[in-house]
Amino acid sequence: MDRREFLRQVALWSAGLSVGVPHFTIGEALAADAHPPLLAHATGKNYRDLVDRVLSPLGGMEKFVRPGDKVVVKPNIGWDRNPAQAANTHPQVVRVLVERALDAGAGEVLVFDRTCNEERRCYVNSGIQEALAGIKDKRLKFFHPDERKYVPVDIARGKAVRRLEIYRDALEADSYINVPVAKHHGLSRLTLGLKNSMGVMGGTRGAMHHNLGQKLADLATVVRPKLTVIDATRILLANGPQGGNLDDVRVLDTVVASVDPVAADAYATTLFGLRPEEIESTVAAHAMGLGEMDLKKIRVIKA
Amino acid sequence: MKTTRKIPLYYWRRLSQLACLALFFFLFIRTDYSGSDSIEYAVNILFRIDPLLALSASLAAGFFILLMLPAVGTLLLTLILGRFFCGWICPMGTLLDGCRNVTPNPRTGKERTYRPLKFYLLGFLLVGACFGLPMAGYVDPFSILVRGLALAVDPALHALSATFFTYTYQEAPAWVNAVTEPVYAFLKASVLPFNQKYHDLTLLSLGILLLIFFLERLERRFFCRNICPLGALFAVTARFSLLRGKTGSTCGKCRNCREVCRMGAIDEDRAISMLDCNLCLDCIHHCPGNKISFRFGGQSRTKPTFALSRRTFVGSLAVGALLPFFLKSRTLARQSDELLIRPPGALPEEEFVGRCVRCGECMKVCIGNGLQPAFLQAGLEGMFSPILKARTGYCEYNCTLCGQVCPSGAIAKLSAPEKKKVKIGNAVFDKNRCLPYANGIPCIVCEEHCPTPDKAIKFREATVENSRGEKVTVKQPYLIDDLCVGCGICETKCPLPGVSAVMVTSAGESRNPAKALPDTGSARQVI
Repeated sequence: MDRREFLRQVALWSAGLSVGVPHFTIGEALAADAHPPLLAHATGKNYRDLVDRVLSPLGGMEKFVRPGDKVVVKPNIGWDRNPAQAANTHPQVVRVLVERALDAGAGEVLVFDRTCNEERRCYVNSGIQEALAGIKDKRLKFFHPDERKYVPVDIARGKAVRRLEIYRDALEADSYINVPVAKHHGLSRLTLGLKNSMGVMGGTRGAMHHNLGQKLADLATVVRPKLTVIDATRILLANGPQGGNLDDVRVLDTVVASVDPVAADAYATTLFGLRPEEIESTVAAHAMGLGEMDLKKIRVIKA
Repeated sequence: MKTTRKIPLYYWRRLSQLACLALFFFLFIRTDYSGSDSIEYAVNILFRIDPLLALSASLAAGFFILLMLPAVGTLLLTLILGRFFCGWICPMGTLLDGCRNVTPNPRTGKERTYRPLKFYLLGFLLVGACFGLPMAGYVDPFSILVRGLALAVDPALHALSATFFTYTYQEAPAWVNAVTEPVYAFLKASVLPFNQKYHDLTLLSLGILLLIFFLERLERRFFCRNICPLGALFAVTARFSLLRGKTGSTCGKCRNCREVCRMGAIDEDRAISMLDCNLCLDCIHHCPGNKISFRFGGQSRTKPTFALSRRTFVGSLAVGALLPFFLKSRTLARQSDELLIRPPGALPEEEFVGRCVRCGECMKVCIGNGLQPAFLQAGLEGMFSPILKARTGYCEYNCTLCGQVCPSGAIAKLSAPEKKKVKIGNAVFDKNRCLPYANGIPCIVCEEHCPTPDKAIKFREATVENSRGEKVTVKQPYLIDDLCVGCGICETKCPLPGVSAVMVTSAGESRNPAKALPDTGSARQVI
């Protein structure tokens, strides 16, 4: 099923006209494009600059956003924590991405996350609300997810889950840009791009924890970012995923970006002194052909 | 006959009523998180100008609660203006007046005299408050109103609109949604609560509120005339008020003023009892002879239109004084309910229940939907006081709103750093249910959500046999008592269906040293 057919299914399902639950089937061509995958890595104190620097070797935002596109920029705003505590994506990183998407002529840019702590507190304390308030453009929509817009989706290729509820806008987006923060996580060791996709899930997300690695890979078969930008401007080394203690934070002033979600995660793992094989979701996603995890096969460009 | 006067006086009264009601609803809606850690407006001012609650909470506390100082002003004004509060300000009174066309008309017939009831009630409540039976919040009109709105009406409004607009969203054609979606967005941004809240005692709170409206069937302002203990307190004060109503004693057969009086304050001789009159000023307008006026001073103190039975009054005081001693012989007095988890900053239990006015504001403002009205967990006298029910919702780590809105200081106003040091309870794991222990399934959602910067929930890796007989290595959670604040997010988020595998109890709560947990030495020594 292609994207157009999928959208038709979602529309019919939403209108109550179809009993069949919409689902994606991923063509193999999707997984294998651009080999070896490119990954851009930049370090510097100016976070606005950093984002531009990692985007340029990948072809700039114009490569990912065409004029009129519906764009989703999906940061991690999961916790009621401030930017210094490294639990959420850095507000400046989010802001620049939104600005670039708007510059590239996006029809609309949606920014949202399904939070773990109280929604409004997370949006405010993360600093993202304030950062985005500075963008005076009606095409930017920064909102709290609407309960009605989670669509049950069959995970046709899923090995551990068969069906998940996923936010409609995330499925319908022409361009989905994943912007996780790199940080520690008790169960999965790290939370990176694949884990960040849980922010577009509805329902009881706690059940994902039972066999998390495979379930995240299953989720990655339907939530497919065109671009993954991992915020490692500061990373949380312990007491994740929400932290709270500045002693657990290390400032790296780093941003990495890749078209390949698995490669992005695999590479970001090394920032913590870990190997990609130690992260179950990376291994599972690689095994499903969703991307590259072998660091030798990833072309890293220091931008 | 009637000269064209500028604006009838009762117009001003209506204007005041509407303005106060609008202000009340504005404050009620704003009793919520608004993007800032401190709350700008809250409906708690209504409770702080309420002399009944001020008196009862202060009697229970044993000293005057300064937070409720504005109530003295209300009482002083009553000494000048009489029961103006009931007629001009009280939002409950305004709603009763406003619903006059909706509620059934009073059955005509002979006037009933339940009027002394409110004085007995007042005596009982104040004496009870002195001796440890604080129940003023049960019957205070504002408590009933705000509780009914916060626990029942507001969440129901959300459910109603969500249901309707979900239906239109899913079933209606696009042109309908072009209209309904903006309307929904507007409602959400203005009057609707931010998200769906769930509460205990919803129907009871609603029922009590509706009962007051239903009683209008017996008499107009039945509650105000006969039950409202706040009205009774005003009546006692208004007896000495400077403003008095004057009528013509020889004005013929017309009984317009008596018929129109919503408080039944005018007797057969057309004398106005300032104990009952709420200064609605309708009688002035309806008097064909223009004989009614309100002036300061003059006329001697009016006699009440009813008589109190001394025996009953003394009896109600005696009940108020003696009943508390029966409470002290319940098992509850020896061993409090282990699930009685009070909000952070709550005073020690006895003081807390004494000062809590049952307004429901803390539950309205609780952004984690953790605070619920107690039913019998705190005894009959503790009904509607707030407790944390952590399976439904939790206490948000950085939030201090409940202490900010509490009108009587039953929940102390704490800064965020102070609040984080308060322990309201302690989590305990049920290893028979917890997945990594019982089934060898990885989980630790609790650990993920545990908000303390040094996590109170930690885990050990253990190799166990799962239900298929396979050896698996899983992370098993355990608790560091000294770090746990009792917020309950672990219990809320535990992904097990039904009973959570981790539960918060009031053990170790910092407001009660008797519940201190066994000392484990340094928290860091646990392996």
